[in-house]
Amino acid sequence: MKTSRLFRNALITTLVIAAFVVSYNVTDADFGKLFRNLPNGQKLITDFLTPDVVTRDVETRTVSIAFPVPCDSAPAEADLPDNGPRLVPSVNCANPLEKFTLEGFDLEPDSEVVIRWKLPDERTMTAIRTNTDAEGYFTFEVEARPIIASANGVASRLEVDTLTPVGKFKPSPTLKEVLDAMFVTIFMALLSTTIATFIAAPLSFLAASNITRRGLIGSAVYYLMRFIFNVLRAYDPLSMALLFAFWLTFGPFPGAMALTVVTIASLGKLFSEAVENIDPGPVEALQATGASPIHVVRYGVLPQVVPDFISYIVYHWDINVRISTIIGFVGGGGIGYLLNLYINDFKWNQAGTAIWAIVIVVWAMDFLSAEVRKRLT
Amino acid sequence: MTNAAATRPPVTRSGVASALMPGLGQILLGQKYRGGGILIGFLIMLGTVAWYKDPAWYFSPAVIWLWNIFDAVSLAGGKARSILLPLAAGLLAAYGIGWQVVGIDFGKADLDRAAAILRPMANPDFIQTRREKNEMWVNIQVPCSSEPPLARREDAGRVAMVIPDCGTVGETLIVSASGMWPDTDTEVLWRTPIGDPKMVGEGESQMLVARSDESGVVTTAVRVPTTALVAAPDPTLAQFHRVYFYQYRPLGGIELSYVGGEVVKGALATVSMALLATGLAMLFAIPLSFLAAHNLMSGNPLTYAVYVIVRTLFNILRSIESLIIAIVFVVIVGLGPFAGMLALAVHSVAALGKLYSEVIEGIDQGPIEALRASGANWLQTVRYAVIPQIVPPFTAFTIYRWDINVRSATIIGFVGGGGIGFLLVELIRVNNMRGVSAAFIAIAVVVIVLDYFSAKLRERLV
Amino acid sequence: MLRIQNVSKTYPNGTQALKNVSFDVKDGEFLVVIGLSGSGKSTLLRCINRLIDPTEGQIFLDDVDITAAPPAKLRQIRRKIGMVFQQFNLVKRSSVMTNVLSGRLGYVNPWTSLIGLWSADEKKRAIEALGRVGIADKAGARADALSGGQQQRVGIARALMQEPNLILADEPVASLDPVLSHSILQYLEQLNKEGITVICSLHFLDLVHRYATRVVALKDGIKVFEGSAQEIDRARFKEIYGEEAQEVRAASV
Repeated sequence: MKTSRLFRNALITTLVIAAFVVSYNVTDADFGKLFRNLPNGQKLITDFLTPDVVTRDVETRTVSIAFPVPCDSAPAEADLPDNGPRLVPSVNCANPLEKFTLEGFDLEPDSEVVIRWKLPDERTMTAIRTNTDAEGYFTFEVEARPIIASANGVASRLEVDTLTPVGKFKPSPTLKEVLDAMFVTIFMALLSTTIATFIAAPLSFLAASNITRRGLIGSAVYYLMRFIFNVLRAYDPLSMALLFAFWLTFGPFPGAMALTVVTIASLGKLFSEAVENIDPGPVEALQATGASPIHVVRYGVLPQVVPDFISYIVYHWDINVRISTIIGFVGGGGIGYLLNLYINDFKWNQAGTAIWAIVIVVWAMDFLSAEVRKRLT
Repeated sequence: MTNAAATRPPVTRSGVASALMPGLGQILLGQKYRGGGILIGFLIMLGTVAWYKDPAWYFSPAVIWLWNIFDAVSLAGGKARSILLPLAAGLLAAYGIGWQVVGIDFGKADLDRAAAILRPMANPDFIQTRREKNEMWVNIQVPCSSEPPLARREDAGRVAMVIPDCGTVGETLIVSASGMWPDTDTEVLWRTPIGDPKMVGEGESQMLVARSDESGVVTTAVRVPTTALVAAPDPTLAQFHRVYFYQYRPLGGIELSYVGGEVVKGALATVSMALLATGLAMLFAIPLSFLAAHNLMSGNPLTYAVYVIVRTLFNILRSIESLIIAIVFVVIVGLGPFAGMLALAVHSVAALGKLYSEVIEGIDQGPIEALRASGANWLQTVRYAVIPQIVPPFTAFTIYRWDINVRSATIIGFVGGGGIGFLLVELIRVNNMRGVSAAFIAIAVVVIVLDYFSAKLRERLV
Repeated sequence: MLRIQNVSKTYPNGTQALKNVSFDVKDGEFLVVIGLSGSGKSTLLRCINRLIDPTEGQIFLDDVDITAAPPAKLRQIRRKIGMVFQQFNLVKRSSVMTNVLSGRLGYVNPWTSLIGLWSADEKKRAIEALGRVGIADKAGARADALSGGQQQRVGIARALMQEPNLILADEPVASLDPVLSHSILQYLEQLNKEGITVICSLHFLDLVHRYATRVVALKDGIKVFEGSAQEIDRARFKEIYGEEAQEVRAASV
């Protein structure tokens, strides 16, 4: 008795360890890589933590000098001023790939500086960004671009924009975009939960053993409904959304539909369990008064299950808000779609705004739904 | 008369108060919850309608506002009004706006397209009958050089040849192979020098199939495909293309198809990711959960600060779906199941940590007191009064989390986190609905089986 | 008014709850069914309004065969038979008023009642019924806010709404304090005096002595006694309840 139990425990332990070893290999786990590559994520996470929420109007001032590349292809800047906002390069012309130092004096202090090449045909190239100090001075090592940049004796110019924030802080366009998408997300969750409720509530009675499982047809319906609920519940709404987006093209509509389908199954199962757990006494009492079956359900079953139903609906609205935040990743619309766009464009600050919005809304929904459910029981 | 005189001032006052700020009149009459509810409901509706910018919907906050004045006035008279009307106005606007915002349009539900998607799904690409392959090929020069080599190849008693020995695009050639299996359908396929397959059947969109005779000889005419030179660096340069002959015959029995094999691998990776993530999360969540237990940490300001920080961290991480966390890890460690596993683990640490800490907060003080009273030391108390109370629920929650993680792991591949989700996205992208169907079936089987076993296990524990 | 002929009931799992039971009930009787737990009392009562279908035998109510009635006819029969339950069988989350009104479902318009609309007349009738059991003031309360004795009185009021000719009471006092038992049974006795026939199953023999006009005893599904309460002597008692039984008296008021 004792040894067999010991043997069994040893076997289970071995199996669990084996499962972890297999998993470790299958998932290509490499924690060394994780730690070596951690710096890769640094910029991403700092940007996430500094979301793009507010902006200020920016005043742009531009100074420029002629700068021939290569030398002698065009006349250089004739004479540089020695006061006022001005640019001073260490050389007055350069050959491609040569490096030289560009200094700026008496520009707007504490401003962002954008240095760029302006070609004779008005095209501009490669902005380098830096900042001026409190005296409006900056210095930067600039590489002459490896191109033939003069045309018809006109030199390309080095242009420097100073961007000075002016005026009050105001919500950034990102914030507005995120709020708009968030509204869509919340409505997606609201609508899919509501539609799912209207479909799941009647179906759940068909999947409740105490109501339906009578006779051959009843049993068949019961097992069929249970099977459908169990299979649909197995899918994450995102897998479902993948199919719906493929069918209905991108947008919140397929997202809401996918969410509805999975919620029907999920709510249907929970509802049917609530129906199965009712006190059979009142049902018996109503049958004894000569009430018809539909009245027995209306007066004997419904009052018993409605509070549970409401509690589950609120709970699912909460879950569905959470899921709608990511359903856009597979074409479902809402904030997930926006977040995916930001991420594909490497706009990490903007992505940070969306993520913080998600955190706040999900947190609030979680809190609210918990409060409502506490009241109901 | 005195009664009426006494009630008149509150009637006017509460009506005016509610007109200025919805719910204020009710609050002044002592109905705090009613007034607060009206105010919040009104503000939510006003905000929603203002955001939507369609003036028609302003009827909803307007109805709520008017009703609220009416309610305040009659409440002062001692009679509350039914909230059915404002509730209906609010819900109507909420669902109306929601319907338009979400763009619900069942007209878009093209049933023909649905049928075109679902029909191949009825026949999942998971297994195929096992078969043996007989492959033969021969080189052919396109376009012709001045001295084209002989387009003939011998291999294991088989001979394949093309007449003439070279060709130009659109030209018809005679291809033949002998020593093949007799009386067998033979697929004839063109491959360009970079290995691109080109079909040479009807309209170049169908496989050309010829049947070998009883002595194993296949002969058919082939037009050099019009797209044969699409990828050629210089179309005038003579290069070797190949004509392939494929024969298949059943071996009996069935085997996994290629997609089927990928689906099995994906399912295994999915389950493994979930298992490893849950294990890893458990290791971190157990110590952290003690820091997030209110009853242990509320003793002094320092520990309480730790409690608040850990709790907040848990709540933030719990709010971010593992799919989003996966994006960060994909950037750090690259595409693949490892990134997905790490994301699941981080999300699970927060979720498990919260559940564990609630278990710790809910333990029964009785046994602890009893053991203290019997003279047990701190370690003995923990061993015999605390651990027996927390181990079963911890295990149950961990298994439950594994269950959830398996479900999440099926989708984490959508952002490059590996597993079956990655395969699913790829299959949808190339419109392989038979493969998609196989992946969907695999997901259902894996999730339902694990769901069943985890429920059984948890039943035993509780 | 009620004739029970050779009724047997075998459950699908093979338990034989009733074996060939026959007896008559006359108008205005207070018939008490006694026996141990599991002796078939509840099954017998439920066979009368066919909450349970008997496997064999027939039951006639005023010469109408209940056992052969099709569903619509059965509902018409049921609405004239009130029933009171051991566990009260109230919808706990509904108000007392709704619980009482639901006794009227066999009579009222099926559509208006489906959306919860009741005529003023029905509401007045419900208040009256509650008044007869002395708890008219509780009409607005939720059923689970009431004490056990009050809940059983709601159960009686619900049965009264059916304007029954017959009340079946299945262990109406078994879940109550002994002190409350008498008050509940007195309401039933009062109704009996007003002309309603009562069939009641009971545990305590002293209650049987006090209220029954006639007694039927069941043991393992077989009728072992039929007669007046006074006829149950020590020997009969042992026969019904078994050798080891001791008579326990409910506290009297």
